[in-house]
Amino acid sequence: MESTASNEVVRDVQQNGLCTGCGACVNLCPYFRNHRGKTIRLFECDRTWGRCYAYCPRTEVNLTNLRKKLFQADDLTMELGAFKGLYMTQAGDETVRNAAQHGGTVTALMKLALAEGIIDSAVVAGDNDQQVACPEQVDGPDQVGSYSKSKFILPPTVGKLNEALKGKAEKIGVVAVPCQAQAMAKMRVNPGPSDAGNMSKLKLVVGLFCGWAFDGSKLRELLGKELGNTAITGMDIPPSRHKCMEVSTENGMVCLPMHEIQTCVADGCGYCIDMTCEFSDISVGAARSPEGWDVDKEWNQVIVRSALGQTLMDLARDRGILNFKEVPSGNLEKLQNASMKKKRSCLAYLAEKSGREDDFIFLSSEDPLIRRIRGLE
Amino acid sequence: MTTLNTGRKGEKMLLMGNEAIARGALEAGVNVVTGYPGTPSSEIIDRLSKADRERNLYVEWSVNEKVATEVAAAGSFAGLRSMAVMKMMGVNVASDFLMHLVMTGTRGGLVLVSAEDPGAISSLTEGESRYYSKFLEFPLLEPGGFQEAKDMTKWAFELSEKINNIVMLRTVTRISHGSGNVVLGELPETSPRAHFEFNGTILDEQTGPILTVPGPFAVNLHARQQNKLQAAANLFEDCPFNTYEGPENPELLIITSSVCHLYCIEAVELVDAPDRVGILKLGTTWPLPAKFLKKHMQRTERILIIEEVLPFLEENIQVLACQLGAEFAAKKFHGKGDGTMDKVGELNPTLVAGALSRVLDLAMETVSVDYSENINKQAVDNAPDRMLTFCPGCPHRASFWSIKRVLELNNQQGFVCGDIGCYGMGMLPCGFETVKTVHSMGSGTGLASGFGKLGQFGMDQKVLSVCGDSTFFHTVMPALANAIHHRADITLVVLDNSGTAMTGFQPHPGLTIKASGTELPALDIPSICRAMGAKVQVVNPFDVENAEKVLLKTIEDPDGVKVVVMRQICALSPEKKSKKQFEIQVDENVCIGEECGCNRLCTRVFKCPGLVWDGEKKTSKIDAVLCVGCGVCHSICPSGAIQRKEIA
Repeated sequence: MESTASNEVVRDVQQNGLCTGCGACVNLCPYFRNHRGKTIRLFECDRTWGRCYAYCPRTEVNLTNLRKKLFQADDLTMELGAFKGLYMTQAGDETVRNAAQHGGTVTALMKLALAEGIIDSAVVAGDNDQQVACPEQVDGPDQVGSYSKSKFILPPTVGKLNEALKGKAEKIGVVAVPCQAQAMAKMRVNPGPSDAGNMSKLKLVVGLFCGWAFDGSKLRELLGKELGNTAITGMDIPPSRHKCMEVSTENGMVCLPMHEIQTCVADGCGYCIDMTCEFSDISVGAARSPEGWDVDKEWNQVIVRSALGQTLMDLARDRGILNFKEVPSGNLEKLQNASMKKKRSCLAYLAEKSGREDDFIFLSSEDPLIRRIRGLE
Repeated sequence: MTTLNTGRKGEKMLLMGNEAIARGALEAGVNVVTGYPGTPSSEIIDRLSKADRERNLYVEWSVNEKVATEVAAAGSFAGLRSMAVMKMMGVNVASDFLMHLVMTGTRGGLVLVSAEDPGAISSLTEGESRYYSKFLEFPLLEPGGFQEAKDMTKWAFELSEKINNIVMLRTVTRISHGSGNVVLGELPETSPRAHFEFNGTILDEQTGPILTVPGPFAVNLHARQQNKLQAAANLFEDCPFNTYEGPENPELLIITSSVCHLYCIEAVELVDAPDRVGILKLGTTWPLPAKFLKKHMQRTERILIIEEVLPFLEENIQVLACQLGAEFAAKKFHGKGDGTMDKVGELNPTLVAGALSRVLDLAMETVSVDYSENINKQAVDNAPDRMLTFCPGCPHRASFWSIKRVLELNNQQGFVCGDIGCYGMGMLPCGFETVKTVHSMGSGTGLASGFGKLGQFGMDQKVLSVCGDSTFFHTVMPALANAIHHRADITLVVLDNSGTAMTGFQPHPGLTIKASGTELPALDIPSICRAMGAKVQVVNPFDVENAEKVLLKTIEDPDGVKVVVMRQICALSPEKKSKKQFEIQVDENVCIGEECGCNRLCTRVFKCPGLVWDGEKKTSKIDAVLCVGCGVCHSICPSGAIQRKEIA
């Protein structure tokens, strides 16, 4: 039988340019570590079966099977995964909103989940100091707010979860991007023998829409070249006509052109089939409005996917934690189209990498979902 | 008990070759002895350092071999008998000074002892120093046994004073580390008065200033030096250390020197050809005693030259044969030139006997194929399967563990330029194969200084060098100055284990003890590096978490030269030996062994010999005999199964 462990993660994922640095293989053992956004194997391991391989979102996976095991069958859609409803929300609390990238919905939901005891600990993206993203574990609603800006560089969040699962927390919530959510889905559905008992501690996944993330070292190199030692206080890519990334620094705002910025996108991100974080209870992104981006700059779009997601959303409405606004007509269709575009480009990139039009490396060509995306079913 | 410095004239002692040399120096009334440790030379200084009070010696472990030779030369210039001791690579270090010294000459007898290592048993090269004697034009003596090691050393001082120049005494591992019976000579009473006389003329060797000066004066000195060499050659004609044994007119004349003399005696017996073969042993191998050689060479037609490694004797004798005329040039020479002997590796009686049997076309009784195959099989089957590794509790294992991890985390194909010491084994699995270059002492940091300037050509690998505390003083400091001055982006890791550990804990300027054990002021490596302009951190490699954190931050700092001193005393050092800091135990119930999540990290990767894999229980355990209780395995165990308890 072919070995599925550490060596295969290195060969098939890392050396094949598929790794996103999600952290699924980190903190399971002393061999994989994440440093400045890159997942690295420190020493060779000669096992023939390993959790690193089993949990990696870039090793073989049948998405249909995963979806069926984690969600209600009649909620499943090809375009957006499990779908109970689309909402437009923002945090009711102005201070949360002001500290956030967009509407502050994620922060508000995590605070609520902690306050209501739905979870007793949260794994969130940590500080963006020097463009190094570190996941953090927090266990009180007041701590969540300080982690509320978009990071653009993937923190190894799942690695932090792996650590949290060994700890005292009984009910853990995670804020995750799609590759991380997919890793957690694989962990939940098929945990290794030593994790089976702990996996029930993972209660809540709040997903983030994600198109891509930066490769930390490439971004650091670019920013170093452009800005030298100037301290960076924030980053945003405003969906405007400027086509640039705005970098806030101690000396004011600097715009870096998108064509330069795009060279820093992590290699692994092109091979992601999921834009809306389908393996979450509830997933959140920036809002779009037919009148233009700036109109809804302070709002989020939210997809509710699971019963728990629905409970949390209803609670947020009842408690006035979130403000709601009617979703403009056509927004769902736009989201579906954008999601399908990502799925098709993912399959195209994978086929290009494998050199065969029906070989998608880690995605099974027999997976009914893949067949439907390809228009074969 | 009789010791080297109490043994009386006529007493017979079993002495190691190096002890015999030390005794010979004492019998010569040596006053100043210097050296730098290096196998197989180190015991000479060690033994003399124990005699320093009783025999009125000044003994020091110098910072390096060049300085050792200079310090010894100062003794000679002030009229004292002096000796500098080193291994063969040390002669390379000393050679710059030597080239000047041989021109100015010496006053008190000055002997350079070079202990060499054919076969590179404990050296990184087989390089030898015999050629220096020809190249730098000074006499070379090579003892061919243990008694001779003592007697020749004493004689070397007398020779040096007769010709007023330095004399090299060359020994090899099998003389230095072998032992034999030695009849002792008299220990003289010396009452030296050191004074450097410089009021005479510049041309007066005994009273003038001792200088090398450019131009015609240098040529003049050179001619004087060559006259001294000729004087030595004349003395060698009647030297008792040049011997011949065998038939008057041998069918084959062996010419040999050093330990090979003993091999030749045994080999002639092995092939049972004492009537056919004569052995000419040279104790004075440069300059050659031409008349003595001529006398014996004219009594044979065939000459076999037996010496280790390069054909120094062979080629010099062939040149001499040509100079002696057509009759001698036509002799049949066997040796390295005709492929009878190899130009690499040590010799032994069997190899010499093999050569004799080929040259004389004699049958030689060899071991049967079955027997030698069986021997090999037994060796393979019964020897434990283990690689060269660091000792249990060695600080270097912990240091390289952190170095390996930070190089991997940094993810820029970083590497380590190694140096000379136990830590050279960083190239092996015990050092996690982090060391990628090893050359001479100090050259790791010199190479790093160069690598660290290649950024302008696109090199983006992290460059580290490692050196020990003794090596730091020996030759790393100039390389470090170069790197700092030129702003090379490198990290020097000083693996400070408080002594010259590999050669037996000889002191160095960073310690407060001198060769004889008295207190001396210590130089502080971190302060030196800071004063030179490097950013310096000091960490304890046994505090694995902190060491890794500091190292990672340091190597990712792109600004100039960084120094991390990883300080932890050697596990074998006399201060630490058999003192455990922790009692270590493996909790079998917690150890996850081969499971996912560990996969035997401690016994498969970290591999301290104090940890053993219990194949039946599938857990690790501590080998209580080997474990020195450093506690590092406790820090690296991912499941907390390796528990440590501080010993009060």
